[in-house]
Amino acid sequence: MAIKVQIPTPMREQTGGKAEVEVAGGTVKAALDDLLRQFPGVGPKLFDNGKLRPYVNVFVNDEDIRYLDEMDTKLTDGQTVALIPAVAGG
Amino acid sequence: MTDTNPLERYSRQMRFPGLGKAGQEKLLASRVTLCGCGALGTVLANVLARAGGGFIRVIDRDVVEPSNLQRQVLFDESDVANNLPKAEAAAVKLRAINSAITIEPIVADINRTNIEDLCSGADLILDGSDNFEIRYLINDVAIKHNKPWVYGGAVGSQGMCMTIIPGETPCLRCVFEAAPAPGETGTCETAGVLAPAVNIVASYQATEAIKLLSGNKQAVNRELISLDVWENTSKRMKVAPLAGRKGECPCCAKRNFEWLDGAHGTQTTTLCGRNAVQVSHRAKGKLDFAYLASVLKQSGEVSYNKFLLKFQLVENGDPYEFTVFEDGRAIIKGTSEPDKARTLYAKYVGH
Repeated sequence: MAIKVQIPTPMREQTGGKAEVEVAGGTVKAALDDLLRQFPGVGPKLFDNGKLRPYVNVFVNDEDIRYLDEMDTKLTDGQTVALIPAVAGG
Repeated sequence: MTDTNPLERYSRQMRFPGLGKAGQEKLLASRVTLCGCGALGTVLANVLARAGGGFIRVIDRDVVEPSNLQRQVLFDESDVANNLPKAEAAAVKLRAINSAITIEPIVADINRTNIEDLCSGADLILDGSDNFEIRYLINDVAIKHNKPWVYGGAVGSQGMCMTIIPGETPCLRCVFEAAPAPGETGTCETAGVLAPAVNIVASYQATEAIKLLSGNKQAVNRELISLDVWENTSKRMKVAPLAGRKGECPCCAKRNFEWLDGAHGTQTTTLCGRNAVQVSHRAKGKLDFAYLASVLKQSGEVSYNKFLLKFQLVENGDPYEFTVFEDGRAIIKGTSEPDKARTLYAKYVGH
């Protein structure tokens, strides 16, 4: 089993339409590095000069990584990483 | 109505143990400022007016258009035909629904110069807007003046909402520190929107409003709700421990009200004699023209070079031409009204 990364709608053009991508990695950082290796187009959507864009949140099993160990948050196989950007319309 | 008991109309919700007569009376004595009366806002106003929210100030800068009718539940074809401002059209419907409460329609562009006045006296601020500029302004005002507010957003089949209680929950900037730069996220014009997604988000928001206004703060949802009606997902994300983000949040921890102070957001300048308005955006970073063009080509003619992007569209028979620069600034031809230009900017370039 691998780590699952849930891809939000605005980034799916960069993942070939995939809503969920399997990656490998022991931390959030390693998992996202693997995501970018598989789908380089996601990079600029997610990061700006190496920093996570301020309107995108990363959750591991529904908990904000800022409450865990940020990008160093440990992951184990089978866990889900969700990328959640702010929703603007209304 | 001919009821002898004015509370009879609320009997079904008063029978709900969480509310009761005491909760209903608090609701009737409450005051709400509703920022924006589009898709989210009409659902919010409809629910609150029926529930007996005693005073509802409804603010919106736009006029009812045919493309609103698919999801903006208070409007109909006659409002379009009569070219009515949304706030006024909503007030007519809301008063017909419940004549025992007070509706105050205000046709205005919410900005940093008027938002504190518009929210003064309110027990709660509701987000019925369609852009982050207004949401960050609401967040600043709410934290500054210690008022709760409820964020909601919807685009495509997705939606999100969160309740902010100053001093108790994280604020909007704890969770989303900065607004997406113009063009970086979809808007309802560029990505489309399904009415049920908006209805569900606004219904969550309205429930939170009823809890807060009836004295049931303990029942408030303190997590971020994120849902997608097409993909059948609904999550509650734990953000509660972020309150004040360990002393780092610029707004609720450091009390720097950057949007209210004008450090962020848009500014408009009417370009005399040109039937054009310049909308400036104080955003960091550069626009990605290739991406913005791919989004806008669904709505009109787009072309771009290294320096600028041109976008032409026809809306309700009126032609407009956008010239967008790399820093997010745009000159919008086809109007001399700053409010219209802001609306067009928020719709197509977005926040």
